[in-house]
Amino acid sequence: MTYSIIGRCARTGRLGLGITTFSLAVGGRCEGIAAGIGVCKTQAFPNRTNDPLGIKLLAEGFMPARVMEMFAANDSEHDYRQIAVMDRDGRIAAHTGAGTRGWSGHQIDADCVAFGNGLVGPQVLAGLIAGFKTRPDDALEYRLMRAIEGGRDAGGQGNATTHKPERSAAIKVVDRLDYPDIDVRVDVHPTAVAELRRVLEEFKLYEEFYRERGRNPSKAIPQDVFVANLKARRA
Amino acid sequence: MTFTIVARCSRSGQVGIGIATYSIGVGLYCNGLRSNAGATMTQAFVNQGNNSLALRLLAKGFTPARVLDELAANDPDFEYRQIAVIDRQGNAAAYSGPKTRGYSGHKVGEGYVAMGNVLAGHHVVEAIAAGYEAHAGESFERRLLRAIEAGRDAGGQVGNDGHLTERSAGIFVYGAYDHAELDLRVDLHDKAVDELRRAFEEYELYRGYYRDRGKNPRDAVPQDVFVAGLKQHQEAAQ
Repeated sequence: MTYSIIGRCARTGRLGLGITTFSLAVGGRCEGIAAGIGVCKTQAFPNRTNDPLGIKLLAEGFMPARVMEMFAANDSEHDYRQIAVMDRDGRIAAHTGAGTRGWSGHQIDADCVAFGNGLVGPQVLAGLIAGFKTRPDDALEYRLMRAIEGGRDAGGQGNATTHKPERSAAIKVVDRLDYPDIDVRVDVHPTAVAELRRVLEEFKLYEEFYRERGRNPSKAIPQDVFVANLKARRA
Repeated sequence: MTFTIVARCSRSGQVGIGIATYSIGVGLYCNGLRSNAGATMTQAFVNQGNNSLALRLLAKGFTPARVLDELAANDPDFEYRQIAVIDRQGNAAAYSGPKTRGYSGHKVGEGYVAMGNVLAGHHVVEAIAAGYEAHAGESFERRLLRAIEAGRDAGGQVGNDGHLTERSAGIFVYGAYDHAELDLRVDLHDKAVDELRRAFEEYELYRGYYRDRGKNPRDAVPQDVFVAGLKQHQEAAQ
């Protein structure tokens, strides 16, 4: 039981993943994202080696559809995986294995793919896509955040009788460099999507300060001074 | 303002990082671990290109000391960085630039580096090292956590207006695979090390289940059944 979105910003070429689930610390199992290459995420009954393999295959030049065929050929339990692959140009392949549990499916749209299992129904995927498309000019991290919130608000995980809370969530975005641009996480929390929004909003206040501090250390003000200024601005 | 342990477990060969800081979302910067290569962390005024460069140099066969030399030669603001590098054999090197702020220092021990800046004093670095060394019988992850808890208990970070709380923290462990064996974070919390301990103990209960579920999906019980069993077990133990 998990719902996720892989998205690409057509304007900037930035690539990202937004994910939330009942399982704990899902962000710690999301290695499949690389600037200038693509994004790959395996979930449901995840084979942890798939995502690094997918990134390496994309980097070799294989198309997402071909990567998916190789996953199938390489894995006796492929039927239990749910996988989405997107390359840097926005080409997408997705697979929802017959062995994944509960309502399970994926939906491909322009520059995004929504996929989930253990969901209340297809409206969750529609919520993810709609959230992603609401404000196409926003930074990719906000579009991914709105997508996850759209999935949650459409009912998220569960079935006709029970709802499963989101206990962990994460957003990762890469730009042109070989380290993440945005990487925010909530690992153990009773309402992880709301908490992720709080973390993201707070982090965005610091983002430029942190980046500049590293680039121009001789001009950086101490962080406690920055925080005091931030508080004064809020007041 | 950050305190950190970068280590290699001599039993398992795993490499790991434990870290806590006043900054939020520190896990963003902890991309310096790779199986069969080593682990590295640049902090204080972070040069974000350093970790991936250092890993590639380690993977080519450069020694940690030589990697530090290369990072120095590549960076006009090197004096603002604090860096630890450890290779897959446990050889370690560290650097605390003279322009990092507050008390800033490191200790290179047998298979680990303890380091920090804007600290209450050198005793925090010593405490991190002692915390790691004192529990050699525990799992590698637990030793990393012990190390940063010891750093917190020794006074942690001190800024211009006194003690600075830990607002984010993380533990990261890589073993034989090119995915993390543990990657657990607290990004925004007023007691991030305490919260990391809570998250760790909770996650420990699930780790084996998550691993097996992926390896043997046919035999996996649904997670709600697993959680119900966990609750039953916990209630019976009380």
